Amino acid sequence: MIKLINVNKAYKNKIKVLDDVNINIEAGEFVSIVGQSGAGKTTLVRILIGEELVSSGQVFVGDWDITKIGQSEVPFLRRQIGVIFQDFKLLPKKTLRENVAFALEVCGKNKVKIEKTVDSVMKIVGLYNKMDRYPHEVSGGEKQRTAIARALVHQPKILLADEPTGNLDAINANDVIDLLLKINNFGTTVILVTHNREIVNNLKKRVITMEDGRIINDQQHGKYII
Amino acid sequence: MFSSFLRILKFSVQDISRNIWLSVITVTILILAMFSINTLILTKTISASAIDAIKNKINISLYLTSNASEAEIFYLKDKVMAMDRVKDVKYVSKQEALDSFRANNENNEEILQALTELGQNPLSPSLIISPKNADEVADLIEELKVLDSEIIESRDFADNSLILERINNITNRINDIAIIIIAVFIITSLLVIYNSIKVAIYTHKKEIEIMRLVGASNVFIHAPYLISSLVYTLVASLIIIGITFPLLSIAQPYLEVFFVGYNINVVKYFYSNFLLIFGLQFLSIAIINMVASYLAVRKYSKI
Repeated sequence: MIKLINVNKAYKNKIKVLDDVNINIEAGEFVSIVGQSGAGKTTLVRILIGEELVSSGQVFVGDWDITKIGQSEVPFLRRQIGVIFQDFKLLPKKTLRENVAFALEVCGKNKVKIEKTVDSVMKIVGLYNKMDRYPHEVSGGEKQRTAIARALVHQPKILLADEPTGNLDAINANDVIDLLLKINNFGTTVILVTHNREIVNNLKKRVITMEDGRIINDQQHGKYII
Repeated sequence: MFSSFLRILKFSVQDISRNIWLSVITVTILILAMFSINTLILTKTISASAIDAIKNKINISLYLTSNASEAEIFYLKDKVMAMDRVKDVKYVSKQEALDSFRANNENNEEILQALTELGQNPLSPSLIISPKNADEVADLIEELKVLDSEIIESRDFADNSLILERINNITNRINDIAIIIIAVFIITSLLVIYNSIKVAIYTHKKEIEIMRLVGASNVFIHAPYLISSLVYTLVASLIIIGITFPLLSIAQPYLEVFFVGYNINVVKYFYSNFLLIFGLQFLSIAIINMVASYLAVRKYSKI
């Protein structure tokens, strides 16, 4: 599903943020990527969504080599990979429904399809009754669930979660992780980038540990080792 | 395709209405910039009309001998009229010159008494020549100086040349200064407009980033802001048109009193040049706004 082969990334100041990274993630896996700040986790996420280009190496999403991706193809890549972030990235002047529908509207989907899909994903994340509220009227956990709903509208095969629990208390964080597991059970590949030791250890899923841009550990049913 | 266009319109309307204060401020800045430009156009129109009026009052008198017959005078008149640089020639007979002189000096007893004592009309008949183009008066005078006719008594045009030279100097100076002021004003206004649109787009930085993240195509990212920029320009243009004409109508009577005899009509000028003045302003500001919008959105939607 996702394959990184000898991936290197360095910025203009020649500081290497990714150093010979090789990862192979199969369809339907739940993988946690852990590491301290500056380990290269977020760079990895940015490369996977086409926001950064690699300095060398190859990155495959399905059969698609995204290192050779053109500007015009980036929107299509992003429709195949759902992404959620620590800061939710919701539009404050749109309701939860509008925020989720927005992802379909900007891709030119028709009104009937949008309504049907939005209702369906809002039911999955448990926010069907709060759809007409604005982001400032709901809790952090509900905001993150809305972001997950938005990430799901394109029925992506991959869901990238970059520190999704970073701004949440323990109860809301667990709710979000439960939701990610539920989505994974539907067959979606989930990649969780996190600092949260407790969550990683409780998951008992594959853990890839990064340090200084390199992969130092990759274990099935792994633990947070740093 | 049509539904996508409608959706882009919807985003644009939402953008304007949900950020209403930012929209009001942006439109206000556009109105102030357009008001400044129109004030400059008005000032330039008034000064140009006044200068033209002064130039139109310039004419050249060709004084003829007292004993010239009317046939000779009309022959000369036709000859002068045939010159390329001449717009009109008016014949003033001895009697008309005297009547005009009396009328001009009706309160001056001494002059009127002196005329009576003379017992005859001392004034010469003349041809009053209006030039086609005030800028070519000097050339016309040179032509008149060498005009072959025995009935011409006086060809001294020195005073006219001096006045004309002064008027032309002042006119050229005013034009030079006006062009510099207008250029500075227009550039400043356009920079202010460019910047206000960039600031407006900056406030949508997060929205643009999210559009990009959820896989919006470039058209969907750019189009709503381009339309918003167009709407701001259109609203500002309509308001400035709504403000300008009532203000001009209020100012017109005062201008008529101030520039009495100069036939200055600013309302008529703005009406007859409506498309040029407001169309050009709308077009140039719309282009500036759309370029600013495009560049700002591109900045925040880059990979």
